[in-house]
Amino acid sequence: MSASRQWRSLAELENDPAFIEHAIQEFPSLREALAAPQKRRRVLRLLAAALATGGLAGCYAGEPGGHLIPAVRNPPNIIPGLPNRYATAHVLGGHALGTVVTHQMGRPIKVEGNPYHPSSLGATDPYAQAEVLGFYDPDRAMLISNNGTAASRQALLAALVSAQGVIAATSGAGFRILTGATSSPTTERLMARILAAYPEARWHVWEPVNRDNAMRGTALAYGKPMDVVARLDAADIILGLDSDLLGGAPGWVRYARDFASRRNPTRTKTMSRIYAAEPSPTLLGSIADHRFVAGPAEMAAAVTALAGAVLHGTSTEAPRWVGPVAADLKAHHGRAFIHAGPGQPAETHALVAAMNEALGGRGATYDVIDPLLAPAASLDALIADMQAGHVSTLLMIDTNPVFTALGTHDFAAALRAVKFSVALAKAPDETAALATWTVPMAHDWETWGDARGHDGTATIMQPMALPLYDGMSAAEIITRFIGETPGTDLATVQDTWRDQFGTSFDTAWRQALVDGVVAGTASTPSDVALSGSAGAITPPAPPAGLRLLFRPDPRLHDGRYANNPWLQELPEPLTKLTWDNPLLISPDLARRIKLRAGDKVNLRTSAGAITMAVWVQPGQAPDVMLAWVGNGRHVTGAVGTDIGWDVYPLTGGDGSATIEKAKGSVELASTDHHNLLDYGTATVDTIVRHASLDEFAKNPRFAKEAPTPELYWRKPPGPVAWAMSVDLNSCIGCNACVIACQAENNVPTVGKEEVLREREMHWLRIDRYYEGTPEAPDSFFQPMLCMHCEKAPCELVCPVGATVHDSEGLNVMVYNRCVGTRFCSNNCPYKVRRFNFFDFAGEDNRPAVSWNPDVSVRARGVMEKCSYCLQRISEARITADKENRRVHPQEVVTACQAACPTQAFTFGDVAQPASDVAKRKASPLDYALLEDQHTHPRTTYEALVRNPNPAIKEALG
Amino acid sequence: MSGAEDAFLAGTARPRNDDPVLLPGLTLGSLTDRIAALALRERAFFWWWVAVLPCASLTLVLFGSIIWLFYKGIGIWGVDWPVDWGFAIIEYVWWIAIASGGTFISALFFLMRVDWRTSTNRIAESMTLFAAACAGLFPILHLGRPWLFYWLFPYPNTMGYWPQWRSPLLWDFWAILTYVSASLLFWYLGLIPDMATLRDRAPRRGKQVLYGVMAMGFRGTSRQWRHWHATYGVLAAIMAALVCSVHSIVGLDFAGGATIGWHATQFPPLFIFGAFLSGFAMVIILLIPLRRLLRLEPMITGRHLDVLCRLLAVSSLALTYSYMMDAFTSWYGADAAERTMFAARATGMYWYAYWATIVFNVSLPQLMWFRRLRMNQIVVLLICTGVIIGMWFERYEIVVTSLHRTHLPSAWGNFHGTYWDLATLVGSVGFFFFGMLMIVRFIPVISMSEMRSLVQRQNS
Repeated sequence: MSASRQWRSLAELENDPAFIEHAIQEFPSLREALAAPQKRRRVLRLLAAALATGGLAGCYAGEPGGHLIPAVRNPPNIIPGLPNRYATAHVLGGHALGTVVTHQMGRPIKVEGNPYHPSSLGATDPYAQAEVLGFYDPDRAMLISNNGTAASRQALLAALVSAQGVIAATSGAGFRILTGATSSPTTERLMARILAAYPEARWHVWEPVNRDNAMRGTALAYGKPMDVVARLDAADIILGLDSDLLGGAPGWVRYARDFASRRNPTRTKTMSRIYAAEPSPTLLGSIADHRFVAGPAEMAAAVTALAGAVLHGTSTEAPRWVGPVAADLKAHHGRAFIHAGPGQPAETHALVAAMNEALGGRGATYDVIDPLLAPAASLDALIADMQAGHVSTLLMIDTNPVFTALGTHDFAAALRAVKFSVALAKAPDETAALATWTVPMAHDWETWGDARGHDGTATIMQPMALPLYDGMSAAEIITRFIGETPGTDLATVQDTWRDQFGTSFDTAWRQALVDGVVAGTASTPSDVALSGSAGAITPPAPPAGLRLLFRPDPRLHDGRYANNPWLQELPEPLTKLTWDNPLLISPDLARRIKLRAGDKVNLRTSAGAITMAVWVQPGQAPDVMLAWVGNGRHVTGAVGTDIGWDVYPLTGGDGSATIEKAKGSVELASTDHHNLLDYGTATVDTIVRHASLDEFAKNPRFAKEAPTPELYWRKPPGPVAWAMSVDLNSCIGCNACVIACQAENNVPTVGKEEVLREREMHWLRIDRYYEGTPEAPDSFFQPMLCMHCEKAPCELVCPVGATVHDSEGLNVMVYNRCVGTRFCSNNCPYKVRRFNFFDFAGEDNRPAVSWNPDVSVRARGVMEKCSYCLQRISEARITADKENRRVHPQEVVTACQAACPTQAFTFGDVAQPASDVAKRKASPLDYALLEDQHTHPRTTYEALVRNPNPAIKEALG
Repeated sequence: MSGAEDAFLAGTARPRNDDPVLLPGLTLGSLTDRIAALALRERAFFWWWVAVLPCASLTLVLFGSIIWLFYKGIGIWGVDWPVDWGFAIIEYVWWIAIASGGTFISALFFLMRVDWRTSTNRIAESMTLFAAACAGLFPILHLGRPWLFYWLFPYPNTMGYWPQWRSPLLWDFWAILTYVSASLLFWYLGLIPDMATLRDRAPRRGKQVLYGVMAMGFRGTSRQWRHWHATYGVLAAIMAALVCSVHSIVGLDFAGGATIGWHATQFPPLFIFGAFLSGFAMVIILLIPLRRLLRLEPMITGRHLDVLCRLLAVSSLALTYSYMMDAFTSWYGADAAERTMFAARATGMYWYAYWATIVFNVSLPQLMWFRRLRMNQIVVLLICTGVIIGMWFERYEIVVTSLHRTHLPSAWGNFHGTYWDLATLVGSVGFFFFGMLMIVRFIPVISMSEMRSLVQRQNS
């Protein structure tokens, strides 16, 4: 095909004799395929291949056939250069987080939170932000395969028809469906239909990161499993027991917002107080006013003692902190809330439910609702059936039990024994590799769906793009198993909601799509009563000795994001580790068996044994080891395969484990390159300025420094002054901003080797500092991005003027002018500049269409840094110019600010006194970092105030 | 060579500190004969080939590394975040300091009419030339986008681009440009009468033309000599100032930054002291073997060795003072970050660099206080090699350890040079000696014209 030929569709080409003739020369098998018209897909494939190789035969000078009409009209609603935004949701573990996806020229490029969605309120978590890369992942599943060889869709459909025939004949005996946890009304409806059609069939659910303990606990407490929805904005006292309330729990993004609303003493009347008791640091513990290190044994004792004090008024000795905490909780009747994490046993959850009831918080600090996730049989039951030979047909939808099933189960062996298994998978994975049929699954952005948020609010998820690959949706495959010809996914989802929307369906449907939430679908609080015996439960006492705990990887969840380079390279909030998941051990254990970070150990549980590296985690209980599940994928894309260690084989035991030093060590890529607790003569105090609430009351301006004299100072001109304030009281270190910045600003990833060589590229990093002993340190988070200094040291030293100041006070990088002397980075006291040592962007494993077209992709040898999302400022400026007005003070929202669950960032025009940022900078807590350098940064911080309980200090002595 | 001359040379092989600056027995004719013969030899010495082969290989290593660097990017080196400057800057400062020392001898001591300078200035100037060539290479290699280095030059362009004059790097660009071009001129100007001599004595047509072109029509008329003397004097005066300016500005590259460890007013003199020390050391390293291999003992005597060794000791003392001030201001400045950095510099993971600096640059040259050691060529060579190594470590310590502990502990990091860093370093050393060997082969290693006036003065 010559380069001058234009064509409008494959169908047109298909009917163009000149092209067909040429294609047949290229692909002789095309003649056969054309002769058999029923194989239309195959014809199209071959034509597509011919198209793809058409450039090779550029000298072909065939006559152009037909009428050629260039696209003179744009697709509707798409204006080049302007974004479109569509609401959908990000679903993880069955829970939806409402999102709004920004499109440029019809391609999704950025995820924001949906302000109407109760789980989001406009914020997101890192996973939702990283979904852009997940969608464009070139390693996504794209081929139907049968026992490892590529197969046609026809063959698959034929196989499904015959399988369905067998199932229908036996009314489903031997037919099992395994899915991940879901709250989707459509999936539930389809499942109900398929189970009704085949009474003998079963639906099983496996979610490796589950809250089964909490469910069993509430079942003990209330007589049936219930979900708890917290309202942290109403809680004066929060006690977290190994809690994932801020990072992991369904709705945590919302909880973080509510939590933050009570943490800045200049903006809240009563500051809340957070207690956390935990075996290994969590985000809640890291920002808590009091953090108690409690291994499993101490935790069990503490829960019993706490229950005694709260429920029965008994006083207790050990652990010593329990007394004052219980007193504090009781003193705030109706305004206290206790939360236990998923790692705690069911009995603890039951006791916590009983204590919360006794503390009178129900209806105020929390509500109890019916469980959101659809009930289904367990994986254990499925494996038992499979091993017993009762399963002949297994449909697995978006689940990866071969990798994630407990180490005590051998799902792979059981799966091999199943005669006919189908895995519908979004990406190649360990399960799909073993299934009889592997079917690529449509991405959530390629199909219609629905899901519910943490409080029950439903979202209808609309497709964001035409399918990139030939994926099949869950609804379609289930419908095919029912034995019906599937309609469109749109029709399937609409059918689910038709009854609910009633007569005004079209209006309600449209409104639901526009808002991203279905109004009035939040669960109503249940009035289920606490069972009388709940308070008498005692948590089981764990055996003494070393305990191995498991938590989901803070970056990869259960492993499903392992092929996402943004998440792999995201520094874990506390260890700042990227790309790896070593075993976290306590400083005490490290001393005892002489281990240093990176040393390899042999780790053994009753389920299995592996050799992996360790990392020393300050603040971890002495006899506790913590393993992050999720990394160490064996079968996935090019990014995530064989990175880190697979610790699933160790799961499923009783929690005891043995560890011994093994030979060798590996280098672990932490972006925190300094000695953990030794800051030389620098003190955390001067960097993350902090005080207790009492000290703040005595001197609200404790963070202010007396100004020091300086020789030369000229304030930048200009009526507009962009500035930022970061509230350290809010920051929980969750990393949402880091990924949001990466997505918005085309920040490349560099890979483990380059992180080891200290060349990570994040424009925004979250610094973590410790203060105190390694056994029980206080930790502090500080988001660090370009300060946009009014007197910027970087600008002075650049010989080519590649970094300059603009009239609005922005310190801007002119990438094209940069020759790469790197003096600016040396001269930056905050070290927020990043350098392209290699062609990092060019080597990034992502298609060109996924980059943000509003931001330059930086070349090799160029310095880059935070621009305060200049492209967003520009957009606002243009809009304001067109409307002949000034940019509103809140009109520009930076990517980090938008993503932040706690609204720690405030950005705007500080020259307008009414702006939020001007108000925040007027806060007595406001301070400039490294003020003595006289850089006059436009980014300032609000100092951290913590609210400790004086009684604790007395009790602990 | 006659038997009498052999005996004469045998007696002078060992330098003595009471040697005169020129051993008796040389006449105007025999001096010119000896030196011109070295440059006009038909076949090179065997030892020359032995030395040239490894140096040429290392030069290839240098250019190979540069090609790979341009192809792959600056990432092949160990530079990272926060240590954004590494070997390239270290070597740039190291070479430019060696170069400056040469100029110091040839220009400053010329102005002071010091007689011992006459037989060493050609070697010192050639050393300057090639050290400056090595030095000039590194700032370009250092750039992330080296192909755009000319953007530092203020030329009219359609990009609306103009350099940023407040940056010390731009001052440095001009300082280097001026210095390298002036050095080349100075070296060449001094060479013109000698080129004329070689033209007149060259046995073959090719060499006659070559040296004739280089002599630029110098015929030895009194008018030409007058102009030559005047120009040479003026250039020497300019060079003497340039040697201070170039290294002060190199010091300002660091002092001009707000970076801890660099932001010190004493940096310009500190760098000049360092330049003198390394320059003297390198001149001695070149003189001792050449004196022997080229039988220059009558012209490069114990007196030269003695005075250069004394100068080495003096500049070491000046540098010692600067090191003390460096430590003192870190403490006296009361900046927490500065103190942390200094503690890390002296006791942290780069302690060896700091203490190598102290041992090689401060302690080792103190041996020069002893007359016997000054006359022991092996000891002097070892000490001077130590100083050259010590000066490299000084720059390593200034560049790397200052950057690796910055204000915020979150941005602390380390630096490790890579094999490519080493290849470039070793390659540049090879390139330097390759250049010197070419000088030894084709250019009179001692200025014949100036030596003749010295001989004449001594004989009269």
